Amino acid sequence: MISCIETALKPELLDAEAVGLQRKAMDYFNINIHDGRVVNLVTIEAELSFDELRAIKDEILTNPVIQISSLENPLEIGFDWCIWVGFRPGVRDNAGSTAQEAVKDLLKRDFRAGEGIYTSKRYCITGNELTREDVEKIAGELLANPIIQQWKVFSYREWKDTGEKSNNISKALDSSSVKNFDSRPVGLAVPKVMLNHVPGFDTINIESDQALQKISNERNLALNPRDIPVIRQYFLDPDVRESRNRVGLSEPTDVELEYISQARSDHCNHNTFRGLFNYRDISTGETAVEKNLFKTYIQEPTLQLKDEKEWVVSVLWDNAGVGRFDGENNYVITGETHNSPSNMEAYGGAITGIVGVYRDPLGTGLGSRLIMGSYGFCVGDINYNGPLKAPLHPRRLLDGVVEGVKDGGNKSGVPTTFGQTLFNDGYMGKSLVFVTALGIMPSHVNGMPSHEKKTEPGDLVVMSGGRVGKDGIHGVTASSEVLSENTPAGHVQIGDPYTQKKMHDFLLIARDEGLFGFITDNGGGGLSSSVGESAMISNGCEIWLDKVPLKYDGLDMWEIWVSESQERMTIAVKPEYIDRFMELSKEHEVESTVIGTYTDSGKLHILYNEKTCAYVDIDLLEKGFPQWEFDAVWVPPDIRGLTEPVLKPPSGKAGYNDLLCDMLARPNICSKEWIVRQYDHEVQGGSVIKPLVGINRNVPSDASVIRPVLTSERGIVFSQALLPWYSKIDAYHMMSCTIDEAVRRIIAVGGSISHIGGVDNFCWPDIQHHPEKNPDGRFKAAQLVRACRALKDASFAYGIPLLSGKDSMYVDGYLQGKYGDSVKVSALETVQFSATGVVEDIKKCITLEPRMPGDLVYVLGVTADELGASEYYELLGKTGLNVPEVNFKRFKVIYKTLEKAVDSGIVASAHAVARGGLGVHFALSAISSGMGMDINLDSVPLSPDLSSAKESNSIDGFPGDDLLLFSESSGRFIVTVAPEYQSVFEKLFKGLPCGCVGRISDTHSNLRIQGIKPCKIEAVKSVKAEDFKDISTLDGKNMDSFLIIDTPCDYLEKVWQAPMGGMV
Amino acid sequence: MNRANGKKIKAVVLTGFGLNCDMETAHAFELAGAEAHRVHINMLISGKVDLDSFHILALGGGFSWGDDHGAGVIQALKLKNHLGDQLLSFIDQGKLVIGICNGFQTLVNLGLLPGINGDYKTRSVALTWNDCGNFRDQWVNLSVNPKSPSLFTRGLYDLSSDNLALPVRHAQGKFVADKVVIDTLIDSDQVVLRYADIHGKPAMGKFPENPNGSIHDIAGICDTTGHVFGLMPHPEAYNHFTNHPDWQSEIEILKRRDKNDRSDNRDVNFHGNCLASLPSPGLKIFMNAVNYLSEKFGEPLLNQKS
Repeated sequence: MISCIETALKPELLDAEAVGLQRKAMDYFNINIHDGRVVNLVTIEAELSFDELRAIKDEILTNPVIQISSLENPLEIGFDWCIWVGFRPGVRDNAGSTAQEAVKDLLKRDFRAGEGIYTSKRYCITGNELTREDVEKIAGELLANPIIQQWKVFSYREWKDTGEKSNNISKALDSSSVKNFDSRPVGLAVPKVMLNHVPGFDTINIESDQALQKISNERNLALNPRDIPVIRQYFLDPDVRESRNRVGLSEPTDVELEYISQARSDHCNHNTFRGLFNYRDISTGETAVEKNLFKTYIQEPTLQLKDEKEWVVSVLWDNAGVGRFDGENNYVITGETHNSPSNMEAYGGAITGIVGVYRDPLGTGLGSRLIMGSYGFCVGDINYNGPLKAPLHPRRLLDGVVEGVKDGGNKSGVPTTFGQTLFNDGYMGKSLVFVTALGIMPSHVNGMPSHEKKTEPGDLVVMSGGRVGKDGIHGVTASSEVLSENTPAGHVQIGDPYTQKKMHDFLLIARDEGLFGFITDNGGGGLSSSVGESAMISNGCEIWLDKVPLKYDGLDMWEIWVSESQERMTIAVKPEYIDRFMELSKEHEVESTVIGTYTDSGKLHILYNEKTCAYVDIDLLEKGFPQWEFDAVWVPPDIRGLTEPVLKPPSGKAGYNDLLCDMLARPNICSKEWIVRQYDHEVQGGSVIKPLVGINRNVPSDASVIRPVLTSERGIVFSQALLPWYSKIDAYHMMSCTIDEAVRRIIAVGGSISHIGGVDNFCWPDIQHHPEKNPDGRFKAAQLVRACRALKDASFAYGIPLLSGKDSMYVDGYLQGKYGDSVKVSALETVQFSATGVVEDIKKCITLEPRMPGDLVYVLGVTADELGASEYYELLGKTGLNVPEVNFKRFKVIYKTLEKAVDSGIVASAHAVARGGLGVHFALSAISSGMGMDINLDSVPLSPDLSSAKESNSIDGFPGDDLLLFSESSGRFIVTVAPEYQSVFEKLFKGLPCGCVGRISDTHSNLRIQGIKPCKIEAVKSVKAEDFKDISTLDGKNMDSFLIIDTPCDYLEKVWQAPMGGMV
Repeated sequence: MNRANGKKIKAVVLTGFGLNCDMETAHAFELAGAEAHRVHINMLISGKVDLDSFHILALGGGFSWGDDHGAGVIQALKLKNHLGDQLLSFIDQGKLVIGICNGFQTLVNLGLLPGINGDYKTRSVALTWNDCGNFRDQWVNLSVNPKSPSLFTRGLYDLSSDNLALPVRHAQGKFVADKVVIDTLIDSDQVVLRYADIHGKPAMGKFPENPNGSIHDIAGICDTTGHVFGLMPHPEAYNHFTNHPDWQSEIEILKRRDKNDRSDNRDVNFHGNCLASLPSPGLKIFMNAVNYLSEKFGEPLLNQKS
């Protein structure tokens, strides 16, 4: 029996969800919805009595204070149009599943196979001018995504007619029906998965390479052509054949090939980073054979640094890296991307991403408790209105990923303390969603080091958490498949933080009771990866796939084996502990199942109902699979024709004021407070430096600091940087500047360069050269080599072991054009670098907010002629050539000195100068303080080139004030210091680039910036008299400089907030 | 019969089913001098842990059952169906209950709040979607009703600083009820906390000072006895002075004051250590509860921080 309960807010109450829909319809499509109400539908398929259904309605689903509800009929809510949106079959319905839990508890009744609860919504909207086209647009482009949802649009007349019709039909069919529950247009069709399929496995023909290649293509196995002979050779080996014969197998089964395909995939095996690169520099003729980027540039430096840094506990093998927090605790960190799924279904992809990365720390060592997360979103222009069609418009995509990380992070009870959002047209092809997770674990569990773990023969293989469905299985593609009412839409998933939080809490208690010796998560590759990899430790396993709990019947063996259904961990439990483990699991209402046993047979042995469906050597993957190879050709930027643009600086104050305001309003600079506020950054009670700081608590902080152990005053400092624009010139400098910025952010809040761990997340377009499909693949390959070289240089120079890292290749997309054409759009070569460290005393941490009027403002680090790929050039539509470069050695001295100054308490505020240069960051400092700031650019420390140019006045207008304001030279800080510490501070920085550039005002609340001395008298004459201001400057020098910027801080704040100020 | 008999006051903080905030809530109770236990709801239901062995019950923040069918709704149902009588008897014994955020939502769905005239079963108020339609994390200023019977907020209105500031972090925190109920709550001083401006004056519905559109700026209420208290802001998240958004400014001001009178050359950490040794305003809510209970049920605590 199927019934439907509708609930809605009482008419007199504001319906915030409907108001949000109204606002978006207007903002995005200029469609005017006059009024709207949202109705929640809960469709129940179960044999229940009317009284039981009424109890569900009244006890669970209706809040009598605020809601109305109906069981017999749809709620009578007036509308011109009604849009119904429900899930497609097989899509995770979190609310349906919690309703099921509540009903079970209320009625003391289990749900039988085939029974279930499904949720959907209908939006009742009114508006005189609304057309069907408008409403379809709202349905398809705001409310629903066909990949996971279905929808129906009704005019009021259609709704009435459908209701009547189904009423009549049901009457005709069953005149004795008492309640006629089914007399309604929507809410009675359940998106139930029905496969009607008898599970089995196939054997695969491997008579020739071509035959196997053909099958690989047909079945979307994605086997690399170079791997095919190796696979065939293995299965044709007489010894292998003989041992397989003994268990009833001959040719490889689909389960086995899927296992190999998963394990050999770039995602699991990092073939690109372990590939061989033939690198050639076209201008110098330099050639180099890069044998293995991972080994050379990541593994070697990290292992060496592990030896040097006593705080590094465990790196490079587990789900996350481990560092020492204090004598009793270790912290754990890793970062992931979830790009492709988010690109298709932004909310589902992002929530699955954040919830998924949270399983990594939980699956590191013997398991750690989650303590923080962060995000990085890279999307196209949210106001894009050109001809190219991405799967989702960037604006909608951003809304979705913001919401996905919100629900995933907040509902996990983990603070999201840091995040960045940036925009570039390249991300129209594929947007990027970075998610990072940190955890903490006691350094010892039951006397054993918690970062070590192993599986042993005889251990039981346990799967805990969610159930297995056709989720995330390759080959189920949205567009190419004909979708029936009951086809599972499993390729895009929706993470379930609720189920995972229960599992997280349970597993930590089981850990502390010493109930397991090994734990890992099920992510990419599902059981195939988690069991396959963990069985290598014990040297074998036997798996009983028929024991694996399924969401619905009819999955083939290979599907169970590789399904990426979320919220699952794989755990090795000794038989003597299994009863207690299961008891605890039950107490926490977490499903755990023994699905096999670890062995030392040397074999991965998989059975289904006692029949073998896979039997391969556990070391099969080490059997000489060939390395991937790439050609990498570097063409330096000047040879590529990049030059500096020919510019004259703006003239006078009006020009500079406007320029600064336009810079502050740039999408990549402007305030994104609306995103940050949606994330709980205080849960767990250890917030020390929040993501937003300043008197109005709206300026993004350089880094965040949390106190993960509440009884301690030690902290974890965390920052990230993303500077993909510099890849337009040279990915070497992109990488080094990115790392430098992340490091500076750490130092700016009081972290120490002696303890910084890094996480590198590479997102790269396809690097395999193809004359038509990827003509610039060789160049992108060279960019990758160069970025890796910078990674090594930076990690050695700054002493940063890479605690974790991931790569996501193929950030390209084919977008439909205006004429039915298609255009390949590749993202910029992008690396998100995360830096983390331990702060010994959080009470010494500082932020970027200048604290007191009268304090002196310093700039540390030199400003050079480095506007290449800057925000300023982008504003002007230019790229330029002079990309910022990092001088690790020199910078490090400044960082150490600043660290010392902060530690001694003489620094009132510090801020790392980032995108947008000094101009933007003076403005942000001023905004954060709410106080005026007098700055004189004449005292900004300059590079030797610039300072001699300035001295000689040789070139007309060079260096201009625009260069000083917007050059993005790395290695710089804005620091404020109380006057009484001036001499101590300056003594500390003696011999280093440190200029006292101004003062926090006690008389006005403007940002006032004086330019450097005009180089020609004519130039001065051409400036109006009012541009000269006799403001008191430091020590009375440079009285003849002139004021180029003079704007109230609150005006700057408004301008900076305006572009995204209306968003919530 | 449930006297603490010289033992510490025992607090139980619920866990499980998507709840979070249990670690810091337990920590806050510990700092306030209690012995805090984080206990899974099912342990109370199964009787493996006896609710009666505690003096104060904390329903903390989180997303119980994902908040999918109204925040706190299913948790309330679960508690009502399995522990309903025990909860009523717990309150009968003069013990205390605090509901924070999701816990507050649960208490109002249970009917334990507002508990007008001892009616602990009727749902008469609700916490619904914020007017902004979204989850919001921000610090709010609160005005504390000095006439409220709440045992948790005693003395908080005399705070030397301007007013009580705490973080809110919720999507469904808008307090609504019929006018009659609101008037009753106001008249009986059951409105304990109101969202306020920076000077401690009620926000009068103005966003973002009132972050969710709550009627009458209501941020927290108690029952008529003052024993049951529910609030949307998170006092447990202000358990250390460094939780406050302006803590660095506070230190900087103290440092400058020193420098001005040049009286001594103190260590950089001097002021931080001083501030860290004082109980934060958030903690005072927990201390009030523990102090009250130890007067009533146990020995006075010896090492009270002042």
